[in-house]
Amino acid sequence: MNMKKIITGENIEKVYGQGDDWRKVLDGVSAHINDGEFVSVMGPSGSGKSTLMFAMSGMDRIDGGKVTFDGRDLSALRENELANLRRTQMGFVFQQPTLMKNMNILDNIILPSMRDNRRNVKAITEQARTLMKKVGIAELEKRDITQASGGQLQRAGICRALMSNPQIIFGDEPTGALNQEAAQDIMNLFSEINAAGTAIMLVTHDAKIAAKTERIMFMCDGKIVSEMRLPKYSGVDIEDRMEKVMAKMREIGI
Amino acid sequence: MYYRIIRNDMLKSKLITLTTMIFVAAAAMLVSLSSILVVNLTGAIDTLMTQAKTPHFLQMHSGELDRARFTAFADQNNKVDEFQVLEFLNVDGSRIVINGNSLVDNVQDNGFSTQSGKFDYLLDLDGNRITVSDGELYVPIGYRKDGTAKTGDTAVIGGKTFTVAGFLRDSQMNSLLASSKRFLVSEHDYAEIQSSGSTEYLIEFRLKDLSMLGAFKDDYASAELEGNGPTLTYPLFKMLNAMSDGLMIAVILLVSVLVVAIAFMCIRFTLLATVESDYREIGVMKAIGLRVSDIKKIYLAKYAGIAAFGCMVGFALSFVFKGLLLENIRLYMGGSENSSLALLFGVISVVLVFLAIIGYVSSVLRRFRKISAAEAVRFGISQDKSAGARRFTLSANRLLNTNIFLGVKDVLARTSLYATMLAVLVIASFIMIVPQNLYNTISAKSFISYMGIGNSDMRLDIQQTDHIAAKEAEVARVMESDTSISRYVVLTTETFTTRRQDGSEERLKIELGDHSIFPVKYSQGRGPAADNEIALSVMNADELGKKVGDVITLLIDGKARDLTVCGMYSDITNGGKTAKAAITERSEDRLWSVIYAELADEAVVDGKVREYAERFRFAKVSDIDEYVTQTFGSTISSVGKASQIAIVMMLVISVLVTVLFMRMLVTKDRYSIAVMKSLGFTSSDLRTQYFSRSVVVLIIGIVLGTLLANTLGEILSGAIISSFGASSFTFVVNPLSAYLLCPLMLIGSVLIATMIGTSGAGQITISGNIKE
Repeated sequence: MNMKKIITGENIEKVYGQGDDWRKVLDGVSAHINDGEFVSVMGPSGSGKSTLMFAMSGMDRIDGGKVTFDGRDLSALRENELANLRRTQMGFVFQQPTLMKNMNILDNIILPSMRDNRRNVKAITEQARTLMKKVGIAELEKRDITQASGGQLQRAGICRALMSNPQIIFGDEPTGALNQEAAQDIMNLFSEINAAGTAIMLVTHDAKIAAKTERIMFMCDGKIVSEMRLPKYSGVDIEDRMEKVMAKMREIGI
Repeated sequence: MYYRIIRNDMLKSKLITLTTMIFVAAAAMLVSLSSILVVNLTGAIDTLMTQAKTPHFLQMHSGELDRARFTAFADQNNKVDEFQVLEFLNVDGSRIVINGNSLVDNVQDNGFSTQSGKFDYLLDLDGNRITVSDGELYVPIGYRKDGTAKTGDTAVIGGKTFTVAGFLRDSQMNSLLASSKRFLVSEHDYAEIQSSGSTEYLIEFRLKDLSMLGAFKDDYASAELEGNGPTLTYPLFKMLNAMSDGLMIAVILLVSVLVVAIAFMCIRFTLLATVESDYREIGVMKAIGLRVSDIKKIYLAKYAGIAAFGCMVGFALSFVFKGLLLENIRLYMGGSENSSLALLFGVISVVLVFLAIIGYVSSVLRRFRKISAAEAVRFGISQDKSAGARRFTLSANRLLNTNIFLGVKDVLARTSLYATMLAVLVIASFIMIVPQNLYNTISAKSFISYMGIGNSDMRLDIQQTDHIAAKEAEVARVMESDTSISRYVVLTTETFTTRRQDGSEERLKIELGDHSIFPVKYSQGRGPAADNEIALSVMNADELGKKVGDVITLLIDGKARDLTVCGMYSDITNGGKTAKAAITERSEDRLWSVIYAELADEAVVDGKVREYAERFRFAKVSDIDEYVTQTFGSTISSVGKASQIAIVMMLVISVLVTVLFMRMLVTKDRYSIAVMKSLGFTSSDLRTQYFSRSVVVLIIGIVLGTLLANTLGEILSGAIISSFGASSFTFVVNPLSAYLLCPLMLIGSVLIATMIGTSGAGQITISGNIKE
């Protein structure tokens, strides 16, 4: 199957610190994500998985190598162009629901879209309501973010990420702060989104989460040490898929 | 970890640390200077008044004097230690020529005296009693300072030539605020120039004990001795001497309070920014069991260092500058005996500044107690509890650009955070506008009606001369036939005795004549029309406890007559205590006479003033504008300068506070900024958001400041003006400057400061603040 690559990273290097006190967090990593693909990155703490996601999404500048998104070299883009790209073609979900304080949930969801399309506020609000209904938080629109659970807030974050109909959603441990049930709900949501054609790149250290994706990149010490493919998850055989992931982890020793 | 935190903080904010240190040094310097000045001033005044043996009680009098009555009174009164009558020869400025320049434009009453025999000595600059030889003239010290005279100059007084032999300190009349100045000549020369002026008598008493002054005043009043001039006492002389430099000290103290407040704000914002950026570390320290007081010590140590260094620098600087400020005190009053005390007081005041700073830092750091270790370690950032402006939602916003909306919303939601900046801007616009309005008001032509002066073109003063009645009649006769004069009025001032409510008698100076021709502004009621009416100046009314409609009893020609108070007006002439009546009786014993005239053609005022001055040499003729400039010109120009300085100072302070505040805000908001960036908001979007926050605070600040300036500011200015005797004060505003130029300057400066203060927002990385 020859799928179109939407993001390609070649020999990515990322260094933290300066002078004598520095550490290479990404050491010549090459990776890609295909259009509509559901990919996860696994690895122990400090392996560089989040850094890889930040590098490939253009949220962090890299110190070496090249990242191409939709044919454009991200290193060559200015900050404003990167910001436009994030706003219009990418979506982000983080471990903590990064919602703005002092705003209700509906306002948080429509915030990035309102930057460019203030005049279409009615249409934007309608779109947000539709998404909220879809993820099951329709009744929360006027609520303050302190009046919702972690799972509900994470759903709101996903709605916000979906508002621009992005080509790809990046998730950095999006279920990390949730209980098991809420985490399963969120993963089911991601599967639905992916099934509708949006590519997803998830960073996780939870084998059960990774088992629901179709390709897993394993990282250790700033390098991708292995990769495995699984068939698209259809809601069954999760134990079996998880066992395969864990076997792979044992095999590579992480 | 302690050392690292302090070092990082210092390195990260080198400029702010330096600015804070400069303000602390400036505050310490000013406070130390004020205490050094206070100690020296009080010491110098005491020394001068002791050396000069200043009279405890002084009655001025012009006209006939029965010396025997006074001597008898002094002999019989057991409180009197010494008594003397000095002569003071009042000479018109035009007849005093020093180095070729006459003192005609000088507003002081210049006069000549001989050296006193018993007390009230005129001293040289070494504090010694001057012995003056024939042909020598000693000039009041103030004329050396303003360059009127220098030693060796030739002076011509009433045709007689003198050489300026030196300068004198006069413990009575040294102060610029004393309206008379004494020159010293030999007795022989005095007799020669006596015909050039009019003689006034200084009837002086030294008491056995100054504490008897009150009782002596009662004795003096009940003896009913003659005295048509003012009565002055030792405490008043002391106050007059202290006033000019005292005002300077008060201004320095006020400025130092302002500087301390700025230093506090610098510390507050820097400290809050540091606490925000060290939030996680503070949480960790708490989590591992360090006590709040231990954590506080780390930050206190840093500010103790800054404060100690700043205070030492400030103290040292105060010694560099003290010479400059003490120069005036030394010149006018000589040295002080307690200058060693000055050092002690200087140290004490600097220590107080240091302790105030440490106390303030400690109180700001009290918030450590509120930091939850778990929350700090988890989020690494303080979590605002307040969430206001819920109804102001983005989904309902149709009007504002999204970035502007977010800025406005933030201000509304976190009002307490913006309160400090708002307060600074309110104060800034208040201080920018009030002195400016005050300047506009006192320099407006209409202001003279607050001064108890009618709005005319020309003014003739006939005073300190004999036969005033005849002279005013002569002027009136000439004016009557002068076609270029459209209107004129003769107002004569006489003294009457009135009874206070407590039965004591009071001498009241009343200006008699037709007060409807050039009316002054009446704050209540109207001017006197019938001869049973009297209008009182506000100060006099206060002192006599009278209001409009009350009755006042005057002794006229030995008979009591009741007059109804018909109005009250503002007056800042003659110490603010005057009265106006339309009584037709005139005694020959008038104090002075003023003739106001209005010309048919205003363009000829200069010529007319010259003509009348030439013709009536006994009168002081002045153009009203010139009179105002001479009397209040220096005050007006000082207020003008002060208003300019105020504007510059406030702009600098607003910029400084905004930069520090915005830096603190960016540090506090770094998580939100990172989230915004991750959502695709650009740096210029963020800038717009911060700008709109500034603009909202600015608009509220400017509106509130302007409102306060025109209400509270007007009342405060009115209070200051009323202390000189004026009331019913309203601002004359220059709207272009007060409502357009100043706000624009403030907006411009604050926006530039916002740009500088928020420049760090662009450097905030998403990964550094969001990544788990």
